[in-house]
Amino acid sequence: MINYQYIYNSYNDLPSLIKLSWFVSGLLILVIIFMSIYLKIIRHSIRRKCEINIKFKAEYETSLVSYLYSGDDSGKLTEAQNSIIESLKDSIKIASKRKIIVAVLYDLMNEISGEMSVSIKSFYYNTGLMNYAYDRLDSKKWNVVAKSIGELNRFRIEEASHKIAKYINYPRPEVQREAQLYMVNLFLFEGLTFLDELTTTLSEWAQIQLLETLQKFENQEICDIRPWLKSANDSVVLFALKLAQIYNQFEVKETLMDLLSHTNKDVRLSTINVLTHLYGIEAKDILKANFNNLSIEEQINFFGLLEKLVMPNDEPFIEEQLFHKNFEIQLIALNILKEINIDKYMGLLNLPEKEKSRAMIKSENKL
Amino acid sequence: MDTSSVKIILQILHFIFFGYAFAAILSYIILSFISIKETIEYSKKKSFVNYKDILSSTISPSITIIAPAYNESLNIVENVRSLLSNHYVNYTVIIVNDGSEDESLERLIEAYDLEKTECIINEKIKTQPLRAGVFNSKNPAFEKLMVVDKENGGKADALNMGLNMSKSKYVACIDVDCLILEDALQKLIKPFLDETEAKVIAAGGVIRIANSCVIKGGKLVDINLPKSLLVKSQILEYLRAFLLGRMAWSRLNGLLVISGAFGILDKEIAITVGGYDTNTVGEDMEIIVRMRRYMEEKNEKYKVSYIPDPLCWTEAPDSYKIFISQRNRWTRGTIETLKKHRKIGFNKKYGSFGLISYPYWFIFERLAPIIELVGLIYFIILVFLQEVKWEYALSFLVLSYLFSMVFSLIAIYSEELTFHQYKKKGTGIKLILLSALEPFALHPFILYAAIKGNYDYYFNKKKKWGTMTRKGLTSTQN
Repeated sequence: MINYQYIYNSYNDLPSLIKLSWFVSGLLILVIIFMSIYLKIIRHSIRRKCEINIKFKAEYETSLVSYLYSGDDSGKLTEAQNSIIESLKDSIKIASKRKIIVAVLYDLMNEISGEMSVSIKSFYYNTGLMNYAYDRLDSKKWNVVAKSIGELNRFRIEEASHKIAKYINYPRPEVQREAQLYMVNLFLFEGLTFLDELTTTLSEWAQIQLLETLQKFENQEICDIRPWLKSANDSVVLFALKLAQIYNQFEVKETLMDLLSHTNKDVRLSTINVLTHLYGIEAKDILKANFNNLSIEEQINFFGLLEKLVMPNDEPFIEEQLFHKNFEIQLIALNILKEINIDKYMGLLNLPEKEKSRAMIKSENKL
Repeated sequence: MDTSSVKIILQILHFIFFGYAFAAILSYIILSFISIKETIEYSKKKSFVNYKDILSSTISPSITIIAPAYNESLNIVENVRSLLSNHYVNYTVIIVNDGSEDESLERLIEAYDLEKTECIINEKIKTQPLRAGVFNSKNPAFEKLMVVDKENGGKADALNMGLNMSKSKYVACIDVDCLILEDALQKLIKPFLDETEAKVIAAGGVIRIANSCVIKGGKLVDINLPKSLLVKSQILEYLRAFLLGRMAWSRLNGLLVISGAFGILDKEIAITVGGYDTNTVGEDMEIIVRMRRYMEEKNEKYKVSYIPDPLCWTEAPDSYKIFISQRNRWTRGTIETLKKHRKIGFNKKYGSFGLISYPYWFIFERLAPIIELVGLIYFIILVFLQEVKWEYALSFLVLSYLFSMVFSLIAIYSEELTFHQYKKKGTGIKLILLSALEPFALHPFILYAAIKGNYDYYFNKKKKWGTMTRKGLTSTQN
């Protein structure tokens, strides 16, 4: 039999450090036992949750598909539809089931179109799902707010726009992004007016998402982007430059010329690229005149523009850059020269080795 | 020396060992808390991310996958196919055949209908010259593929060739024998595009172990826990290292390494700092330290990001001999990098990089095996001299063992509550048992390999990579 009194007395006789060490060890053993048991419970509950989700998903899918096909042409809910709504109202009160229903609804919305999507929207209204999402907009937890905006966006609930507009400059980028996507998804180019008030930086990721959302719609009539090209927020300018390129905004060329002297290097670089795309031949003289003051990246981008928009009268400038310190510029200059004056190009390759640039030597080897 | 002086020296030694162990455990506790916080935050953020948009976007940034290959003829065709099946739109694959002596190039030419093309290489980083040249596919289905055949120069040299050849803004450097998931690029590029406060210079993800997993057509279809205790123990070790350690260091912006198996770098910065160092066996760690150092010296805000998603699956050594050789190399890589950049350590000019990250790596990674060995030797001497105070020794041994178990369990929890990759029934109990066994099954060999690595570094300078015989992930398929 274990003599607990002996163990207790021995423990008390130990030095403090060892006592502390055994005490912590005892605690850790309890923690390990607890964690081991709880791990089993967690794994079981994850599996169970997964099974329940599959079961309910199938169940709700069946109900919702019947709901969709019980409709008629009157535009009003039929008796069968009303009864399905009533039968699901109890499930909607439980958060986990509500989540599944919303997911199923959204999947169905992606698969169908026309009247049926209106029908889904009325389901969303009549079951009170919209109210749940609406209420969550006031939550103090940023992730709850962001999820709720995302849901209202997916079901295209325009009524929430005033409430969501205030989240455009919210401190958490995830909430900002959901609010911005909501605006653009529901109001297209008009929704972009949030850019006028945007004080935070629009990340590249957010810009890609906004542009992709805009391109999903048939109506591609873009509004005037000039105010955004002149914005004090550099990320808005960069976004507007992308709009100018994607939507071929030839009418903003003049504003683009001003951006060639913008204080932000990324803006200047993007502007040169957009001007290349828009055949901004007018930019050539400005950039040539200022060439030596440009950064290497700008010079490379400018040579990209020249490659596309070169004219015979650019030849003297190109020749000047054949021995540029940057290999890439040397190479582009050589290629441009080849295009506009092949004899001069061949002549350069015949120069003595020590008089050649690196690009000339490499090009000769390639030949 | 009189007895009292010896006693004082011994007392000091005891305090050093105790203090070191205490500091190590304390640092693990702090890192565990930080990583738990970061993991929860990451999971919340992830639930809003829509990766579909980046896939169809015409303005998504271009990425070049650079995969060096040396004598990989056994699996190279399948591995390249897996790389070409990525969902990301704007990417290219450069396979750098680093002077292979087998039929790697011939197999690639045949399988992908390759033809030699002439191209001018802007040699921003000096590398070994081309051997057979540069190849592109005649088949439009493989237009993203480029194969560069060059003279052998080692992994770093091959990666540098890839950097020279790449026309993209970002480069994903990978081991050709790793399995990269189809959505890996879009997930790993996100930190570069999402960050607005600082420039992201590199990003990495979790590396998982694929031994015993089922792979079909370059895709991971079934995840299993291997039978080998050594491989299983490495799974637990990887979980701890990636889900606890790196997650926490990422939060502190203190990561010194992005695994060479899979990571994305900002190409411009990688080239500006001179590319991969060909004189180290730890080129993946060295380039990150050099890039960070460059950004610190430029006084520019930057970040090395890390995401906990399991994006890359690799084959772990399944024999102790290969395992020791691998860890030996890792140790030498760490020593070389820390020594080369010793200027950073404890230097306030480098901010938290110099005052926290570097010292941590130096004290708890670089010095750990040496201190442990000295401690063991000292303990053995005390045993022989019958000077061991067993009540202390036993209680501390039990305590450190229990702590190691708790940290492993936290890592398992982190995995279960986030990615839950090991779904099969019975795996949970196996992982718990593993957390109890791993300190005996793996740690002694890690210690041995690290000590050998130290020895080789100082007394066997000729030793370079060592051999890593792989069975190939695809051999386990179907």
